Amino acid sequence: MTAALSLLAAFALGTTPHDAGRVDFQRDVQPLLADRCFACHGPDAAKRKAELRLDLEESARDVVDGGAKAELAQRILSDDPRHVMPPPSLKRPLDERERATLLAWLEQGAPYARHWAFVAPQRAPIPDVRDKTWPRDELDRHVLARLEALGIAPAPPASPLRLVRRLSLVLTGLPPTPEVADAFAADPSEAAYERLVDELLASPRAAEHAASVWLDLARYADTYGYQTDGDRAVWPWRDWLLRALADNVPYDVFVTKLLAGDLLENPTVEDHVATAFQRLHRMTEEGGSTPEEFRQEAIADRVGTFGTSFLGLTLDCARCHDHKYDPLPQREFYALGAMFGAIDENGLKPYALGNTVPAPFVRLVPEADRARAEELAAAVQVAERELDKALQAARERAPLAQLAPEALAVPAPVAHYSFEQLDNGRFANSVDATKPANTDRRRPEQLGTVTVGEGRVGKAVLFDGDGGLGLEGFFSGTRFDERSFSLWLRPTERNARAALVQMAGFYTQDADATGLELEIVDGHLRWSAIHLWPGSAASVRCTQPLELGRWTHVVATYDGSSRAAGLRLYVDGQTAVLEVVRDELDGPFENRAIEIGSRSRGNGFRGGAIDELRLWDAELSAHQARSVALADGVAAPADSVDRATEHYIERVDADVLAARKRLRDAQRASAAFVEAFAMLPCMRDSRWVRPTYVLRRGSYEQPDLTRPVEPGALEAVLPFDPALPRNRLGLARWLFDPGNPLTARVAVDRLWRQVFGLGMLETPENFGLQGARPTHPELFDTLAFEFANGDVEPGSAWNVRRMLRRLVLSSTFRQDSSATKARRELDPDGALHSRGPSVRLSAEMQRDSALCASGLLVERFGGPSVRPWQPEGLWNEAGQTGQYVPDLGEGAHRRSLYTYTKRTVPVPDMSVFDAGPRETCVARRGATNTPLQVLTLLNDPVFVECARALAVRATREVTDVAARLERAFRLVATRVPTDEERAALAELVASETARYSTNPADALALCGAEDAELAALTLACSVILSSDEARNVR
Amino acid sequence: MNHLPFDRRSLLRGAGLGLGSLALADLLRANDGRAPHFPARAKRVIYLFQAGGPSQFETLDPKPRLRELHGQPLPDSVRAGQRLTGMSGNQAVLPLAGSFVDFVREPETGIEFSTLLPHTSKVARHLCVLRAVHTEAINHDPAITFFTSGSQVAGRPSMGAWLSYGLGSLNADLPNFVVLVSKDANRDQPLYSRLWGSGFLPSEHQGLQLRSGREPVLFLGDPAGVARSDRRAVLDALARMGRDASAREGDPEIDARLAQAELAFRMQTSVPEATDTSSESAETFDAYGPSSRDPGSFAANCLLARRLVERGVRFVQLFHQGWDQHGGLPGGISRQCEQTDRASAELVADLAQRGLLDDTLVVWGGEFGRTSYCQGKLSERMYGRDHHPRCFSLWLAGGGVRGGHVHGATDEFGYNAIEGQVSVHDLHATLLHLLGLDHERLTWFHQGRHFRLTDVAGSVVREILA
Repeated sequence: MTAALSLLAAFALGTTPHDAGRVDFQRDVQPLLADRCFACHGPDAAKRKAELRLDLEESARDVVDGGAKAELAQRILSDDPRHVMPPPSLKRPLDERERATLLAWLEQGAPYARHWAFVAPQRAPIPDVRDKTWPRDELDRHVLARLEALGIAPAPPASPLRLVRRLSLVLTGLPPTPEVADAFAADPSEAAYERLVDELLASPRAAEHAASVWLDLARYADTYGYQTDGDRAVWPWRDWLLRALADNVPYDVFVTKLLAGDLLENPTVEDHVATAFQRLHRMTEEGGSTPEEFRQEAIADRVGTFGTSFLGLTLDCARCHDHKYDPLPQREFYALGAMFGAIDENGLKPYALGNTVPAPFVRLVPEADRARAEELAAAVQVAERELDKALQAARERAPLAQLAPEALAVPAPVAHYSFEQLDNGRFANSVDATKPANTDRRRPEQLGTVTVGEGRVGKAVLFDGDGGLGLEGFFSGTRFDERSFSLWLRPTERNARAALVQMAGFYTQDADATGLELEIVDGHLRWSAIHLWPGSAASVRCTQPLELGRWTHVVATYDGSSRAAGLRLYVDGQTAVLEVVRDELDGPFENRAIEIGSRSRGNGFRGGAIDELRLWDAELSAHQARSVALADGVAAPADSVDRATEHYIERVDADVLAARKRLRDAQRASAAFVEAFAMLPCMRDSRWVRPTYVLRRGSYEQPDLTRPVEPGALEAVLPFDPALPRNRLGLARWLFDPGNPLTARVAVDRLWRQVFGLGMLETPENFGLQGARPTHPELFDTLAFEFANGDVEPGSAWNVRRMLRRLVLSSTFRQDSSATKARRELDPDGALHSRGPSVRLSAEMQRDSALCASGLLVERFGGPSVRPWQPEGLWNEAGQTGQYVPDLGEGAHRRSLYTYTKRTVPVPDMSVFDAGPRETCVARRGATNTPLQVLTLLNDPVFVECARALAVRATREVTDVAARLERAFRLVATRVPTDEERAALAELVASETARYSTNPADALALCGAEDAELAALTLACSVILSSDEARNVR
Repeated sequence: MNHLPFDRRSLLRGAGLGLGSLALADLLRANDGRAPHFPARAKRVIYLFQAGGPSQFETLDPKPRLRELHGQPLPDSVRAGQRLTGMSGNQAVLPLAGSFVDFVREPETGIEFSTLLPHTSKVARHLCVLRAVHTEAINHDPAITFFTSGSQVAGRPSMGAWLSYGLGSLNADLPNFVVLVSKDANRDQPLYSRLWGSGFLPSEHQGLQLRSGREPVLFLGDPAGVARSDRRAVLDALARMGRDASAREGDPEIDARLAQAELAFRMQTSVPEATDTSSESAETFDAYGPSSRDPGSFAANCLLARRLVERGVRFVQLFHQGWDQHGGLPGGISRQCEQTDRASAELVADLAQRGLLDDTLVVWGGEFGRTSYCQGKLSERMYGRDHHPRCFSLWLAGGGVRGGHVHGATDEFGYNAIEGQVSVHDLHATLLHLLGLDHERLTWFHQGRHFRLTDVAGSVVREILA
C-alpha cells in the first residue's frame, strides 16, 4: 500500500513540474479541499454536514490523522457510492492524480497552513543565483532563482526598438514615434532608458492609460444601466481619477479618498467627487420597482466592488449565506453593508424629475467660484444671526402695546375649496373661479374616483385611495417662499401611508417626490419640503397619532427657510408637537401641480374625507392658525399661550420682517449661485441612517430582525481596531493597517499585470482559497511589503509610479519575448517570465494606437465623454431608446477612454476586443481571438479611416513607395519591416496599384482620390494595422 | 478527457498552464464539435422571446370564471399577501378582469387557444403548452435577465452562450448563437445586449445580433472600393506577414489569428447567403405572412431563423417587444398576436415539413405573465394587467418534447399554480437536457466557484419529454 501510495504521490507531484518535492498544503491540497469538500465541510454553517470542518485544522484532525488509514483516505478511496467522498451528487469526483495528492499529504502527517493571502506579506530573503550579472533588481533574482532551479536560462535582452515600443505601450497605451524610437536605438544606455521611463511615466498619456483598469473596477459608464439606461454625467469623477493618476497620488491616499474622501477633515469638492466611485453602480427607474430592493442592490454592489478592487475577495458569495470557501461569514458582508449603506439614499433614481441626480450629491463648484460660494454661504449665516438678534430684541420689547386687530388678521387665501358639489369633474374654488379642483390629474393612470359625502361643514370630498384631485397654477415660487394649507380631514382606515396634499411626479412612490407634501404615515401626520426624497428634504412628524373616524382640523405652514424648524403643524388649533424626520433640504422644488388625496402609483387617502381646503402664499402664525381653526368651527379649548405677542414678534415687528427678508434674499442668492452648477452623486453619511440586518438568503424582503449588524470589517483578514471610527474612513484605515495582508498584494498584482500582461496570480478578483496561487510567492510578498512600507528611499511607501518604474527597469521586463517551441514548452504561458511580456492589445490600445500612428489622434486630457462614429441605428436595433449622434469634430478622434459608454448597447469596436459593458466591477478582461475582430480591423470605418490617414501621412512625409511602406510600418510597429514583410507589402501595393489604375472610381471610393497608389497604400496600411505587430505588445 | 470542456480548468492546472487567454482560446477552438453528456434529442433551439410579458389570459390559459367575476375584487385569500409591483400594488382596489376574447378548443388535441392565436392553434399537435411557469422577478429588467441567463444579476452568461460553450459549432462559417430583434415591434420596454452576452464565458460565445439591413453583421461588408479580389490580396499579404511573424516569434496565437482571418473571409460569404431570403418561394413568404417580405419584421426573422438552423446555427433567439399591456390591453394584445401568431405557427409547420422539427426545439414565451386583476381603470371592454410572476404560460415544440400536450394548471383566478409548476431553472434544465447536457455538469469556474446556467436549482421536467 505504501509503495503504491508513493508511486501515486510521485505521479501527483508530476503535476507541478517546476517544483519537485513534497506535497504542499497550500499549493496542492487546499484548493482540492476547497473545491470538493468545503461546500459541506467548510465555513458555511448552514450547509455544514456531520459537524465536520475541513477548513479548520482542529475540526479536521480526527479524519486526517493516521496516514493511509485516516478516515479521509478511506472515504476518498471507497467505491461505495454511499460512503465515498466527495459524494457522487457533487458531480465532480476526484481523479487519480487528485486522490494521490491527498493521500500523499495524509502520509506526510496532513500538515495545515494558514491560507497565504491571509498572512501579512513580509520581505522574503534574497535568493541566491548563479548568474550574478543578469539581475538588475532584487525582483530579477527571484525570477532568475526559479528559472535556474528549473534549468531555464532567461531570454536575451529585447532589441532597443522592441523595448522602447513595449515600454511605451505598457506605460502609456500608445506606440512611440519612430523618432523617439530611433533616438533610443542610437543611445540605448541605462541612463537613456531611465530617462525615457521617467518621461513616459510623467506624461498625461500614462494617466489616461492607467485609468482604464480603474474605469473597469469602478463600473464607470455614461448611463444608469438597467432598463431605460438614460444619460448620466459622471465624467467629473473620471477627471478626478485622471488627475489623481497624473499626480501620482500615493495609493493609500488615493484609495482613502475613493472610499471616504467625504469623511476627511475639511473635505474639498474634489474629496467628495472621489467618493462617486461608490455611486457609479447601476440604478433603475423602472416603474413598479421596490426602492428597498434596489437600495440593497446598490449596497451589495458597493461591498462587492470594494472586495474585488481592494481585497481581491469574492465578497458577493457571502451575501446569501456564509462564504463556502473563505472564512467570511454572511454577517460580515452586512457589517460592510452597514458602512456602505450609511448614506441617505433612495434605491430608485428619479423618473419624472428633470435635471437632477440621485442624492446624496456634491455640487461641482469650480475652483474659481468657490470663494464666491463661500462668501454667499457666510452671508446666509450672518443674516441668520441677525434674524436671531432681531427676534431677541423684539422679545425684549414685549409685552407690547395693544395691537391693532388688523395686524392679527388672517391674510386672504389664494384658494378655498368647500367641496360642496362636484360639477363636471370639478370642485369650485371660491377665491379664484379659474382654478377649480379637477378630478383629471393629468397623469397616465386615471384610477379611481372621488365622491361627495357628508362633510364637517356642509359636504366634503371622499377618497377611494386611487382617485384624487389636481390643483393647477399654484405656488410657482421657490423653496424660499412661504406657504400654508388648512383643511379638515377624517381618516377611517389605518393604512401605512395616505397622501393628503402632495406635488410628486409620476411613476414612483418616493423617488419623484418634490415640493411640499402632507401625508399620513403609520397613522401620524408627516409634513415635508422635498428636493429629493429622502436625501435632500426637510420633514417633520406629529408625535400624536390621528384619531380614526374623527374630523381633525390641520394647518400646515412653511416659512421658506428650507429647514425642518420652518415646517409647523397646528392640529385643532393647537401647536402640534413635532419630531424631525429629515433636515437636509439642499435643492429646489420642481413646480408641479398639487394633488389632493392620491398619488401616482402610491397610496392615496383611502376611506378618507377632506373638507374646507385653503391655500396661502404666506406662512400663517400660530395665532392665525388658531383663528382659521376657530373660523372653521373648531371648538377650541382655553389657550394659555400668548400667541398674539408671538405673532407680533414674528410677523409684525418691522426689524424682524426686514431681517427675515434679508435672510431669504441671502439664501436665494446663495442657492441661485451654487444650484447653477452640476451635481454629482457621491457618498455622505447621514444621521438618518437605517439600521442594518442580516438579510436571509440575501433577500431585501427578509431582514433577520434578530440579527442587527454594526458597521465592521472582515475578522479573518484583520480584526477591526476598536479605536478606529466604524465608518468608511475607519475602513480605509483598516485597509492600510500594516497588518492587512491583502491591500498591498492586490495593488502590486494590478501594477505587475499592467507591465507584464500576466498578474502575480491568475485570478486578480479572487485571492481566496479558490483563487489561483501566486506564481512567485516570495517575490510577491517582497514587492507587496516594499510597496506598503517603502523601499530604501524614505517616503516611498505606496508610491505607484515608483513601483511601475521599478518593474520596467528590471531585467525581467527587458527580455526578448520571442521564444522557440522548445523554450515555450518549458514556460507555456510565460508565467515563469523566462521571456519578456507578450500581450494582446486591449480594446482601447487597439483603437488608440491606430489613431496615433495615422496622426488622427486628438489628445486632450479629461473632459466630458465624446461620441466617435458608430454604425447608425445600433441603439434602436438593440431595442433601446435614444439616438446616438456622433461627434463630427475632435470628439471623433479622442482616446477611447473618453468614448461615451452606454451600458445596454456597448460600443462595438470596444466590446469586440473584450471591453466589458461596465455593469459591475471587473478586475480582469478576457483576451479572445474572433473573426469579428478581423472584420472590425479591416472593415470598421474607424479603422479604414485610420488606414487611409496613415497612407496619406506616409505619402506626404516620404517620397517613394518603398519608403512610404516603411514609414507607415514604422509608425505602427516601430521597428523596421523584415524583408519578407517588405516584400509582402510591396507586392500588394504593386498589384493593387495596377488594379486601381484601371478602376479609378474604386480608388476614389476607398481613399477619396482617383489615386491608384494611394488606394493601394490604404489597403497596405489596413494590412499593417491588422498585423501581429499592431495587435500585440511584443 | 471526453468531458474536457467542462473541466478545462483542472486540465490546465494539471498541465501547468494556468487559464491563460491564449491557451484558453486555442483549447476552445480545438474542441469545437464536442460531445454532449448523453444522446441529445435536439441539436438546435429557436427561442421566440415575447418581451414585455404576454398575458396568458388572452392567449394560452382560459379562465371563464374571471368573466363571471369581472369587476369583483381579487379575494385576499387568493393573493395571500404575495408581493405586487409598485405599479398596482398601492391601488386601493384590485378588480378581476375577464378576458375580452374567447377561447376555442382545437379539435385534434383538445387544447384551448384564444381566438387571437388561430394559426398557433393549427399546429397544436406539435405544441407542449406549459401553463404553470413561474419566475422570481416582478420587474422587466430583472425578469428578462433571469429568463435569459438564469440569474437576476446582470453579467452572467446567457442561455445561448452556455449552449455555444457546451455544444460547440455545427458550422464553422457561421456564428453559433444568433439574435434577431423585431424591428416592427412596439418597443414599450427596452432590450439590452447583455441578454445575449457571454458574461464570464469567453466572448466568442456571445450572441451575434444580425441586423436587418445591407450588412447583417457589423463590419461584414468590405469598404467601398474594395472588391473581393482586393480583400483576398489583403488577406494573402496579412497571412504572409503572419507566417513571417510566427516563425520569428514562435507564438502559436499568431497562427490562430490567421485562421480567424480566413474564417472572417468565409463569413463574408456565408452570412449573406444565410440571411438572403430571396431564393425562398412565394408560397413560403405567403405562409409566413405578408410581413415576412419585410426584412427585420418578426415574420421575416422567423423565416430567417429557419434558414439559420438549416445551416447549423445552434441557437437563434428572436426578441419581439410590445407585450407590456398595463393598460389598453384588448387593442394592444390583438396587435401583438396579429404580428406574431401566423409566423410563429408557420415556423413550426415549416420545420416539421422539412424534417427539422424532430431535432429543433422551438420555444415561445415572455419573462412573466400578467395579473388576473385590472391595473388602472376597468370598464366593460377596456382594462390593463400588471406583471404576474406566480404562474403564466408558454409553449415548446419539437426537439423531443411531447406535442399536443398541456402541462401544469392554475387556479380559477389564474393567480396561483395548482399543478405542474415549472420554474425558470426547471425550464433551463429541461432545455439543456433535450440538447444532451446535464445542467449540473455544464459549469464554468469563475470567482472561485463552478457556475451553472441553473445556478443551484432546476430539475428536468420529465413529464413533457416525448
